[in-house]
Amino acid sequence: MPRSIPLAFIAFALLFAAPAPAAEAPTRDEYVERLETICKPDAEATQRAMKGARADVRAERLTAAEGKFAKATTIFGGTVKQISAVPRPSADSAKLGKWFTYLKRQQSYLGQITSQLRQGNGIKAQRLTARFIHTGNLANNVVLAFGFDWCSFKFSRYG
Amino acid sequence: MRWLVLGLALFAGCTATVARAERAQKDNLIVSLDGGLTPLPLPRDRPAPVSVHLEGGLQTSDRAPLPRVTRIELGLPSQGVMSTRGLPRCAPRLVRDAKPPEALAACRDALVGRGKLQASVALPNQAPFPARAEVLAFNARIDGRRAVLLHAYTANPPTVSVLPLRLRRGSGRFGLSLVGNLTPALGPWPRLRHFDLTLFRRYSYRGRPHSYLSASCPIPKSLTAGFFSLAKLSFGLGDGRRIGVAIARSCRAR
Repeated sequence: MPRSIPLAFIAFALLFAAPAPAAEAPTRDEYVERLETICKPDAEATQRAMKGARADVRAERLTAAEGKFAKATTIFGGTVKQISAVPRPSADSAKLGKWFTYLKRQQSYLGQITSQLRQGNGIKAQRLTARFIHTGNLANNVVLAFGFDWCSFKFSRYG
Repeated sequence: MRWLVLGLALFAGCTATVARAERAQKDNLIVSLDGGLTPLPLPRDRPAPVSVHLEGGLQTSDRAPLPRVTRIELGLPSQGVMSTRGLPRCAPRLVRDAKPPEALAACRDALVGRGKLQASVALPNQAPFPARAEVLAFNARIDGRRAVLLHAYTANPPTVSVLPLRLRRGSGRFGLSLVGNLTPALGPWPRLRHFDLTLFRRYSYRGRPHSYLSASCPIPKSLTAGFFSLAKLSFGLGDGRRIGVAIARSCRAR
C-alpha cells in the first residue's frame, strides 16, 4: 500500500504541526498610522488627477472629465486593495468590515460614473455622484472614532 | 450693485440623498457641521438671493468636559461673497450691553441673520451648567474690514456677548472666511457646544434690490443639479489643537 504511507504522514504532520504564528493584530492607533501612510500619497494623487474635473463638467467637456474620473477610480481601487490587506485590530473587525463595504461601494460608484460619462450620460453620472458622496459620508461615520485624515472621504479632494 | 456669486460649480447630484451633519473626530473630540442654501433651485447663469443656514458644534466621545474654543473660522466658497453695498452697519458699542429688543432698536437696519448658541459654562468649583443664547447677526465693519457682528443674549443668567466675525479672503476652495476670536468675547468659562446661524437679508439701495447673499447654480443645460463645497468649520482650542470639518451640498438648476 504505497499511498497509505504518505497519507498517514500528512495526517500525522497535520495533527502535531504547531499552527503558524498568526500576524499579531495591531492596536487601533497602529492600524490608523499604517493606513494613513498608505492613503496619503493616494489621496494626493487623487487630488492631482481630479483637478479641474468640475470645471470640465461645467463646460460639458465630459470626455476630459471621464479621463479624470477613470484615474481616480484606479487610484481609489488600488488604495482599497492595499488597505484591505493590512491586519485589523480584532476589536474593530466588525466596524472595519462595514467600512470596507462602503469603500467598495464607493469604488463601484466611481467606476459607474466614469462609464456613464464615457457614454455621455451626464444625468446618470450626476445621480451616481450623489450616491458616491452619500456613501463616503456613511463610511466616515463608521470609522469616526479612528480619527482618519487621509483615509477619510473628503469631497474637496474630487476636483 | 455688486453681486457676489456663490459659485456653485460642480459636479452633479441629487439633493435629497446627501448625508446631513458631516462629522470629524480628533482624539475624543467630535466636530459636526450641517447646513444648506435656500432656495435650492437657482438660476444657472445669474445670481439670485439666497439664505445660508449653518449649524455646528462640538462634543466629546467620552462625555469628558468640552475644551475651551478660542477661535472659530467659517470658510465659505471662494466664489461666494456677500454684498454689503449700501447696507447699514452696526457698531459694537451700540449693542454691547443691549438686550435683543434694544439691539434691534439700535441696529435693525443692519440685521443680516439670526441664530442660536448653546454652551456649557464651567465656573471654578461649580458643576458646569448649560447656557442658551439667542443670536442676532448684524452687518459691521471692524478694523476697516467687513464683518458679521454676532450679538448673543442668554436670559439665564442674563448675559450679553458680542462676537465679531471678521471677513477674510484666502485661497483655495474656501477662500472666503469669517473668523472670530472667542476669548475676548466670551471669557474663559463658556465651552461652546452648538450654534446655528441663518444669514439672509434683502434690502434696497438707490432704488435697486440687493441681497446680502446671492448664488447661482452654474451647471450645463444637460445636467439638472450640481455639488459644491458649502462650508468648512474650524475650531481653535485652548490647548492648541485645531479641529474642523467641511460639508458638500447640492443645488438644482431652474
